[in-house]
Amino acid sequence: MLKKLTALAALPLAASLWSAAALAQSKEPVTIGAIEILTGPNNKYGIAIKNGFDLALESVNKNGGVLGGRPLAITYEDSAGNKDQAINAARQLIGRSKVPLILGPTLSNEMFAAGPVANERKIPIVGTSTTANGITAIGPYVFRTSLPEADVVPVTLKTAQQKLGIKKVAVMYGNDDAFTKSAYDVMKAALEKLGIETLTTETFGGKDTDFSAQLTKIKGLNPDAIVVSALVEAGSGILLGKKALGFPEKVRVIGGNGLNAPKVMEIAGDAANGTLVGSPWFIGKADPASQKFVEAYKAKYNMDPDQFAAQAYDTLFIVAAAINAAGAAEPEKIKDALGKVKYTGVMGPFSFTENRDPAETSGVVVIEMRDGGFKQFN
Amino acid sequence: MPAFLDDFLFSYQSLIYALGINGLLALSMYVVLAIGQLSLGQAAFMGLGAYTSALLTLKLGTPFALVLLASMAVPALAALIIGVPTLRLSGVYLALATIGLGEVLRIAFVNSELTGGALGLSGIPEKAGYAIIFGALLLALIAFVLVSRSRLGRAMEAMREDEVAAGMLGVHLPRYRISALVVSAMLAGLAGALNAHVSSFISPNDYGFDAAVTILSYALLGGIGSPFGPVVGAIILTLLPEVLRPLHDFRLVFNGLIIVIAVLFMPHGLVPWRIGRTGARP
Repeated sequence: MLKKLTALAALPLAASLWSAAALAQSKEPVTIGAIEILTGPNNKYGIAIKNGFDLALESVNKNGGVLGGRPLAITYEDSAGNKDQAINAARQLIGRSKVPLILGPTLSNEMFAAGPVANERKIPIVGTSTTANGITAIGPYVFRTSLPEADVVPVTLKTAQQKLGIKKVAVMYGNDDAFTKSAYDVMKAALEKLGIETLTTETFGGKDTDFSAQLTKIKGLNPDAIVVSALVEAGSGILLGKKALGFPEKVRVIGGNGLNAPKVMEIAGDAANGTLVGSPWFIGKADPASQKFVEAYKAKYNMDPDQFAAQAYDTLFIVAAAINAAGAAEPEKIKDALGKVKYTGVMGPFSFTENRDPAETSGVVVIEMRDGGFKQFN
Repeated sequence: MPAFLDDFLFSYQSLIYALGINGLLALSMYVVLAIGQLSLGQAAFMGLGAYTSALLTLKLGTPFALVLLASMAVPALAALIIGVPTLRLSGVYLALATIGLGEVLRIAFVNSELTGGALGLSGIPEKAGYAIIFGALLLALIAFVLVSRSRLGRAMEAMREDEVAAGMLGVHLPRYRISALVVSAMLAGLAGALNAHVSSFISPNDYGFDAAVTILSYALLGGIGSPFGPVVGAIILTLLPEVLRPLHDFRLVFNGLIIVIAVLFMPHGLVPWRIGRTGARP
């Protein structure tokens, strides 16, 4: 009884404090979570993405933050490229940090593991670099802003066919990784559709360093081009091996998204010349918004941005717009708002399809590696 | 359940599951090490169990109890098949043969349409829980304690210390070796099935050489004097990366450092004590 009375007596006091608390709360940051590969062998992807987020975050907060003046903040968790750690990270962000939205994870493999966790707890999760098939089929709370390979690869192959007159190719892909395998599936379908003959299909492991067996066989078949689905390390190894075996200059490598990284030219040097990749974005894009982004990125990080940084950069603005449209930092409202966002960023116009994939593919450019830099090809 | 406890359990659920599952894996390593053999096939057996269970659940909708039994039976069968020809191998040679098995299985998973290739199998329903994971771990621990207090345990220890002498004293070496490998495969298969049914996604790369070495390190860090050692090792090695999360970029450095120091200063593992025997007099 006495306890109840004290509680009653405290009520007016609590009420007077209420308004002050409400005011302070209005300036409290809106914290969202991000799961990226920040350590380990694949951290170049995660770090480029983090840089992109941070750059965009600065800009969002300079322009008044979100929800009428509350700053936006990101809590990063490292997944180290490991699906179990990605799950742990997602669970901690949701259970402990109580974030209303998660960005990432970096790899499609990790999304297949962490996506269901977020989806089950009804927290929207937005992949910025997950391009494998079936990502958004995980559930209604799983979004992605990265163009799936199924949208990019056909454009690349079609351009190569038209401009170079390619008729017969050899295909190489890493068969032990979800990303390179799913890109290969797309390549196979696109080659069939375009009527390009596949002379041979060779596989390799993501950690292989010697590709001379496959390349020697390919050289004997005399293809017009080699279509490669590989991540940076293996892809660079293939380019170096191709040069070492003395392939003619006109036999180009046509790559998937995995080869779309400046790092390839760093490792392979001259051997990378002529390599074609399709990209949702590239550094030499003439668009002024894009140029401004490149300048700001170079000034802050003293290195060139890649498409992963650009996708991350746009994604943060898309998410900020969704939080504003939602009117509250609540997962359900943000999820509904995300579906309706229309935004034009460095990658061009953006909106989500009904299936939470990017709707626009007009931004895809085919680019070629030449003397350590990307040049537009189409 | 109070909200904070609910959030805590949600945040750490897969970590707590992993403690139990890795404990089972450590025990599966322990069985083989306990008779002085070195097998690196645990990850392969785990993968076999995981794929068997996931395929049964996803494609046939088999009841979970049957799935678990199958996930132990299939690796056990594989262990029998490879166990007989490798009986004559020991030490590093057995280790090499079992690494080979692991690679063969991984490549088979990668190239098979049934197992989804490198994309693995996703959307596995969450059917395992605290009770079944820790129940299995507890049962396995009790069984091992009972075994090490018995005649079997004495024979196993004799084999570990000196195989030739043990054979001369009437220990049926081939039988013990095959049984140890089969029991080890069953435990690893069970752990694989439980893991598949809490993490919703499996892919061939989860069961490669790295995983085999990780499982071996559970047992080595914990010590193989008693079955508790490997479990303690598994718990520590599973917790470390998560406990060290606040260190961000330095996490892996500290993780490695702690392991190196532990191995340097405690070469017999963190739990060096042995289980007392029935009838033993000090």
